[in-house]
Amino acid sequence: MQASSGMLTKFESKSSRAKGIAFHPKRPWILVALHSSTIQLWDYRMGTLIDRFEEHDGPVRGVDFHKTQPLFVSGGDDYKIKVWSYQTRRCLFTLNGHLDYIRTVFFHHELPWIVSASDDQTIRIWNWQNRSLLCTMTGHNHYAMCAQFHPKDDLVVSASLDQSVRVWDISGLRKKHSAPTSMSFEDQVARANANQTDMFGNTDAVVKFVLEGHDRGVNWVAFHPTMPLIVSAGDDRLIKLWRMSETKAWEVDTCRGHFQNANGCLFHPHQELILSAGEDKTIRVWDLNKRTAVNSFKRENDRFWVIAAHPEINLFAAGHDNGVMVFKLERERPASAVHQNQLFYITKDKHLQSYLVHSYDFQKDAESPTLLNLKKLGSPWVPPRTLSYNPAERSILVTTTADGGSYELVNLPRDGSGAVEPTEFKRGQGNSAIFVARNRFAVLNTATQTVDIKDLANSTTRSFKAPVGTTDIYFGGTGNLLIITPTAVHLYDIQQKKTTAELAVSGVKYVVWSNDNLYAALLSKHNVTIVTKTLEQVSTLHETIRIKSAAWDDAGVLLYSTLNHVKYTLLNGDNGIVRTLDQTVYLVRVKGRSVHCLDRSAKPKVLLIDPTEYRFKLALVKRNYEEMLHIIQNSSLVGQSIISYLQKKGYPEIALQFVQDPTTRFELAIECGNLEVAVEMAKQLDRPKLWTRLSAEALAHGNHGVVEMCYQKLKQFDKLSFLYLTTGDNAKLSRMAKIAEHRGDFTSRFQNNVYLGEVEDRIQMFKEIDLYPLAYITAKSHGLDEECQQILEASGLTEEQLTLPKLGAPLTPPKPVVPTYKANWPTKATSASVFERALTGQLEGLTLEDEPSAAAATGFGDEEEGEAGGKRTSNLVDVEEEEDAAGWDLGDDIVPEVEEGFVNVETAEAGGAGSSEAEMWARNSPLAVDHVAGGSFETAMQLLNRQVGAVSFAPLKPRFLEVYQASKTYLPAAAGLPPLVNYVRRTVEELDPRKVLPIIPRDLETLAANDLQRGYDSMKANRLEDGVRVFKGILHAVLVNAVGSESEVAEAKKLITSASEYAVAMSIELARRSLGPQDAVNKNPQLLKRSLELSGYFTIPKIEVPHRQLALLNAMNLAMRSKNYNSALSFANRILANGGAAKILESAKKTKAQCERNPHDAVEIEFDQFAEFEVCAASHTPIYSGTAFEECAFDGSKYHTKYKGGVCRVCEVCEIGKHGSGLKLFA
Amino acid sequence: MDPYSAEGELINIHNHFHQGQYQAVVDFDTSALSPDNALPARVLQLRARVALGQAAAVLADVKGEGAAPELEAVAALAAHALGKTEAAVKAVERLAVVAGDNATVQTLGGTVLQAAGRSEEALAVLGKHEGNLEAVALVVQIHLQQNRNDLAVKEVAAARRWAQDSLLVNLAESWVGMRLGGDKYQQAFYVFEELAQAPATTSVRSLVSQAVAELHLGRTEEAQAALEEAMKKEPGNAEAIANLLVLSVVTGKDPKELTSTLQKTAPQHPFLSDLAEKSELFDKAATKYKAKVAA
Repeated sequence: MQASSGMLTKFESKSSRAKGIAFHPKRPWILVALHSSTIQLWDYRMGTLIDRFEEHDGPVRGVDFHKTQPLFVSGGDDYKIKVWSYQTRRCLFTLNGHLDYIRTVFFHHELPWIVSASDDQTIRIWNWQNRSLLCTMTGHNHYAMCAQFHPKDDLVVSASLDQSVRVWDISGLRKKHSAPTSMSFEDQVARANANQTDMFGNTDAVVKFVLEGHDRGVNWVAFHPTMPLIVSAGDDRLIKLWRMSETKAWEVDTCRGHFQNANGCLFHPHQELILSAGEDKTIRVWDLNKRTAVNSFKRENDRFWVIAAHPEINLFAAGHDNGVMVFKLERERPASAVHQNQLFYITKDKHLQSYLVHSYDFQKDAESPTLLNLKKLGSPWVPPRTLSYNPAERSILVTTTADGGSYELVNLPRDGSGAVEPTEFKRGQGNSAIFVARNRFAVLNTATQTVDIKDLANSTTRSFKAPVGTTDIYFGGTGNLLIITPTAVHLYDIQQKKTTAELAVSGVKYVVWSNDNLYAALLSKHNVTIVTKTLEQVSTLHETIRIKSAAWDDAGVLLYSTLNHVKYTLLNGDNGIVRTLDQTVYLVRVKGRSVHCLDRSAKPKVLLIDPTEYRFKLALVKRNYEEMLHIIQNSSLVGQSIISYLQKKGYPEIALQFVQDPTTRFELAIECGNLEVAVEMAKQLDRPKLWTRLSAEALAHGNHGVVEMCYQKLKQFDKLSFLYLTTGDNAKLSRMAKIAEHRGDFTSRFQNNVYLGEVEDRIQMFKEIDLYPLAYITAKSHGLDEECQQILEASGLTEEQLTLPKLGAPLTPPKPVVPTYKANWPTKATSASVFERALTGQLEGLTLEDEPSAAAATGFGDEEEGEAGGKRTSNLVDVEEEEDAAGWDLGDDIVPEVEEGFVNVETAEAGGAGSSEAEMWARNSPLAVDHVAGGSFETAMQLLNRQVGAVSFAPLKPRFLEVYQASKTYLPAAAGLPPLVNYVRRTVEELDPRKVLPIIPRDLETLAANDLQRGYDSMKANRLEDGVRVFKGILHAVLVNAVGSESEVAEAKKLITSASEYAVAMSIELARRSLGPQDAVNKNPQLLKRSLELSGYFTIPKIEVPHRQLALLNAMNLAMRSKNYNSALSFANRILANGGAAKILESAKKTKAQCERNPHDAVEIEFDQFAEFEVCAASHTPIYSGTAFEECAFDGSKYHTKYKGGVCRVCEVCEIGKHGSGLKLFA
Repeated sequence: MDPYSAEGELINIHNHFHQGQYQAVVDFDTSALSPDNALPARVLQLRARVALGQAAAVLADVKGEGAAPELEAVAALAAHALGKTEAAVKAVERLAVVAGDNATVQTLGGTVLQAAGRSEEALAVLGKHEGNLEAVALVVQIHLQQNRNDLAVKEVAAARRWAQDSLLVNLAESWVGMRLGGDKYQQAFYVFEELAQAPATTSVRSLVSQAVAELHLGRTEEAQAALEEAMKKEPGNAEAIANLLVLSVVTGKDPKELTSTLQKTAPQHPFLSDLAEKSELFDKAATKYKAKVAA
């Protein structure tokens, strides 16, 4: 047995001795009954004390949560059982009856019962609903230390210091208290009485088994949750395992190891383990099946008094002298690795007692069969810690903490075939092991603080000292390692053997690289730090709740999971909640709306999320307005939070687009200086306060139009006047003066007149208000003597009576230099963002155009649709043809057999140059194309001449050079020397130099998929010159080519025939068109006849039906026009027989109807619709069946015999009528 | 101690040179080196400058200096790079007699001789080496150029025994692997990829090598990506253009534009001369055939 230090403590509390513990079945709560009479309620996840309950007098020993109700029960040394509500936070009632300390209390799993064990030697069952004692079980003759209900059956098990364990049958009790169907009053009375008597008669609960075996008092006993097993712990320091059947119970085995009293024991709820705790300060874990010790955890100073298990999740709690601890037996983080669309992960198999490697395909959402069984790795009770995947070798590195840390390098099988144990693996000591390159991995040994770089054979190629205190290593980008120490992260260059960067981040536990490997997230318990690949910090954030895992979105958003949330963070540190979690999960990948994760039992799951918020924020940061627009239009994003976010982040102009509320809109508009919107909103709201603010803002902008309006609204006449003055708007100023006069506001009138330089009116005004002295002095200073006189007269004074101050020059009002009032000052442009423009102006255009790109960028998962649509590009060719093309799967090249009598010459020589691979090709292959690739053009020509009678090679030159050009690459090697030439092979796997063959560009598949299609397209688009060129190109490309199998040879032949037919058909039609313009042809009967004939011949070659329809339609129309109704009728009939496009059929039907009335030809032509014939490719005249003809050995085009010996008009290479051995494409 | 070994002072500058990071070599701070290593470092820097096309400046740089055979060898290399092949070969022939055991003389002499087409003499000069990995790499390359794959394999295997994880041995092995094919393609690819993808070791040359390996493995898309990356880093890299050209032919695309680019940037490239030669050959061969009847 080993004392493992690796206890995973999740929570610890400090208090007095803890005697009782209970987990809440759903919430992260634990109840702790203390020796000090307090009951504490802790949130062990947050580590906070939620509540304390202090009504017991003296130590509390037993506590239990109710499974569904917000209740708990406690029992203590005050002989009292108390039932509490944790919602109302008070004791609901007390059950009295026990006559001594109460040791344990437990709720029944479904009935409203409580079982208690007491030092008064009794076990009692209580009903907490009617708060009555149901049954008292006597029989123990010493303290009853523990009593528990069976989780399913009507059984109770109890332990006592009388050294016995008893199993009680309480089915009688259940029968009596199960709800009766109907009950008379008498029955009820009788029942109540019976109850009374039973309390003493003991018929409700009878002892079923007495288990004797402990030779000291028994402290604890527990049922197995599913199996008929009991475990007990006693002062004899033993843990005993008992089994029971219907009729008997017996001792199975004893677990020895505790060297002090064993106080608590239980079965692991999910695994075949027993846990026990004792006063020897240890918690011990035993294998249920072998009864051997698996693990033990020692505490320095505290004796353990009680142990409890969480019913659902893998958590345990133990009470000791100074509080409680909540712990896990093993890490639950499943070791996993992601590569492209695959997740590799390790699960535990309960039955095999070993760890299995699985893979999961994200796209197919499918789990693979088990790939490997890691039985030999570590111990069955210590799960593997990490998994590193090497896609190149398809191997994995698994590390485990067992045996002081070790790793194992295993190759994965190609496909899972069940839990295979690897036949070959390499292992070694180390705490961390990761792949750093395709053929290298790094192993950290923390004991020696060294990192070894090893090759796949597990031999160390280099080794270096890790920085002090290194705890872990991670992949650090190609050729680099991230070395984790408790206080910092180092970026270590493996080749240069030095730290190239260092960042002080403490407590980093995990590193998650972004999908493009540009950023990494360093996860510690409460922090996420995002760094670049050169270890520069980008952002950091703090979480109060523990961070568990993280994964990157394709767009560069980090999603991370805490214990209860999935959150996101952008590179700039903006973060938020994506969704809540019911249970802890480990994120492995984010794709669009799906977050893939592993749960604690290592099951792949998919969480659906709404990525809108972070995508929007990301678009905002990247100023990707199109995408923002897309998001806005397609999702209900608008919310107060996003608005305040935008405002806070300095994007009021964008926030403006979301807001409907005019007040907020106004505020935002002011903030971003969008006066238009502000004015609009101000008009809508029409509040003086808003106008004031608007006026100030508008003034700052120099938009005096708006300012004017504000002042008008506010009736701020003086300000208005001043505005007019400053803008030089004299007309309005005088109107202001009029208004002032009208209002009877003399100050204002005066002001306006001063601004205007209106002296008369000013004087007039002074006179009106009897301010004659002022009127006089105004007149005087402006030299208006006449006016002065009048004033004097009016006031009855003379000039002598007045004492005048010294008069200066009269005030001259400023003259406007520029008519500013005509336009706003162009000082500050209103900020109309791109975004806004996009939203208002080009709305439709934008959305229409950007839909696909935005969709692609957001990856909302509609790519497939697009693809499907793309494939359906109005293909004239029917489905059958498509299938044909798909059928041309070239597959693997099969190496031709070695020619007989081949001797490998060059190895015999000792010195001098050898022959290059290209030379070998020519030797290795009887195919012309391989000779071409090898540069042996002469032999290639010889071959072609022999095979298909090729004589005119000029047209093949481009193809020859194409094949030749593709054959070699140039590998830069030593400086100063020309690059090394290597030969590209189509037999990539082949090693035997006598079997290697060159790569052939534009193989059959490509030709069928691309070139042929292009040919069809040009047919469809009526670009016949292009078409002829394309089809001839196909012929040349096939002529110099190679295929992989006999069946492909047939495909190639088909392609040749097809291309040849098209080439002939197209040249017939081209010949017709070259006769001259239609008018000219119509006038010349000879030409017309030829034209009609050619149009008929055009329908003869065996081209695809839809294309033939085009030819027929053409012929039909021409015939119609020339009143050749009989021919037209036959073409129409053929069209109708072919079927297809409705439009063509329609026109054929019409023609047919027309022609049937008069089925005669106006022009006699040589086209017998009933005869079988082929068209001569040279003369474009019929070759009736039965007549002699010649053909091209390669493409099969037919000629009249007189053309024999000429060059084929179709392929332009072969000699007509020359028969060769046949084209060889496959050897 | 071998200054080029993993712990030596010159390991980094040496690796930079052989990874094709010539500018890094030129920029390398040599002030802290011990006096013993100053000259080898300088030689490396001079060679890097030659590789960067500054041969004339290098020649001027070493002209006035004393008769250190290393510098004379560099001068020969620079002369060769400037097209004065005959003079360079003469200088090397003299040096080979005077200082044939000098590692730099061997390497540079071998390079010059091989570049001048005198493979046998080059091999003779290089054959005198004692534990000079550069010489090994050159010998391997010469064997490969002579299509003596068997000898190249032997040479690498021998070097592997005494220089385990050295960059040059890895490179040489990869060159051979690229010739042998099969699994070796993949292994060579790993070596090139590792160099090309790590920021500390990446260079256009490594990227091109990676792309070539990928092309041979039939992974045309990846090859395309790597070549485009190389082109982005150095638009005028002849090897990158040439290989991209080959790639586009392999994938059935029209290479016209690339051909003209190559003609502009590197009219001397073997691809072009070879192609012209073949074109001529074609025309000559084609004249032998004629149709019986003229059309």
